[in-house]
Amino acid sequence: MGMKFWVLLQRDVLVAWRKKSNIYQPLVFQLLIVTMFPLGLGAGAQTLQKIAPAVVWILALISTLITLENIFKDDYEDGSLGLYVLSGLPLPVAVLAKAGAHWLTTGLPVILFAPVIAVLLHLPGYAYGVLMLSLLMATPIFSLLGTVGSALIMNLKNGGMLLSVLIMPLLAPVLIFGAGAVLETTLGNNPNGHLALLAGCFVLALTLAPLAAAAAIKVNLE
Amino acid sequence: MSLNNLNPHTSLQSTILHISHAQCQKGGEPLFAPINLRLERGEMAVISGRNGSGKTTLLEAVAGLGSFCEGGMEFDHPDSPDSWLQHSHYVGHFLGNKASLTCLENLNFAATMNGSSSHENQLSAALDQVGLGGYEYHHAGDLSAGQKKRLALSRLLILNKTYWLLDEPFVNLDVAGCDWLFECISHHINNGGAALLTAHDNKRIHEKADHLIHLERP
Repeated sequence: MGMKFWVLLQRDVLVAWRKKSNIYQPLVFQLLIVTMFPLGLGAGAQTLQKIAPAVVWILALISTLITLENIFKDDYEDGSLGLYVLSGLPLPVAVLAKAGAHWLTTGLPVILFAPVIAVLLHLPGYAYGVLMLSLLMATPIFSLLGTVGSALIMNLKNGGMLLSVLIMPLLAPVLIFGAGAVLETTLGNNPNGHLALLAGCFVLALTLAPLAAAAAIKVNLE
Repeated sequence: MSLNNLNPHTSLQSTILHISHAQCQKGGEPLFAPINLRLERGEMAVISGRNGSGKTTLLEAVAGLGSFCEGGMEFDHPDSPDSWLQHSHYVGHFLGNKASLTCLENLNFAATMNGSSSHENQLSAALDQVGLGGYEYHHAGDLSAGQKKRLALSRLLILNKTYWLLDEPFVNLDVAGCDWLFECISHHINNGGAALLTAHDNKRIHEKADHLIHLERP
């Protein structure tokens, strides 16, 4: 079982690596949007600093959201979904491998890129640690919930919008706790409460999302 | 293209696939009248019917990628009746090749997912047999339609499965490819394998078939 898990994860990372635009796309998207803020607000460093926690977080969320659709859709369309659904590997474990590969190729680059976005918004230096930590806990939640959304819409032609509508409400608490933690830090308060709730969300997603996604795949195959 | 490298069937236990009163549906309507089939090792069954009669839906349901709305199937195996997935392999219209992976990577993935870790030499030999020798490091997306089909079919040579479930396996193959595939399936049947397939307008395969299932409107 372990072997199959790793092979599936490896394959997905390799496929993403070969189509590098999948990896760049969210980062370029973030960079383009963040340059609009000073232009649109016409404001100085102080205003940007105030909105920085929210903007960095929303950008990380939305740039990940646009990549979620393809987690299962590509496999459904080329038939390779059958190779692991029928492989005897428990479906929730296969979902975990898919989520893991998605996180490695989307979530991890987003975390590593976050300081660049934060610099452009003048986020105070002492908030970077909490920003990275909060994204480290939140990006796996994006990938995990993304598997559920992607599994639900995999046989639809234009399911991207539906996926956003389905997943956004579930990600709202993650945004509140994540951006909240960074905001509290910039205000000089203790972010631990927010971070603990974020960790709770992560554990919840890790345990429930694979089961939900597996059920969604089964429903769509019937 | 030789056949001597086909996997020998390690155990010769008799296993039987029973499909009884089975029906599949689409949009709440049954697609075809109930069908029955008893497929043993060494036998081949061919499903026929007009376009849209549910051939693919039936095959997917048997493979485990779909479901029956009425009736169902049972797998008779003396040791482990729940081992249908371990004994069957499905090659459908959507072939299961990843366009951005090479032929060798695609085949290796399929082999490992099915628990038959094969040496690179064996994988290359299988590609050689299906006429993809020299294409080991070509991306599957760059192959022609017929070559993509050959790549998918090469999985059958690597995975040691008794029941082959093939959806229109002859489509897109050239004349030599069709001849080879026919020989390959015959060889598999003669060595204690079994096949359930759909094939349009293929006289040879219809004559060779032990069971003909014609899907008709309910």
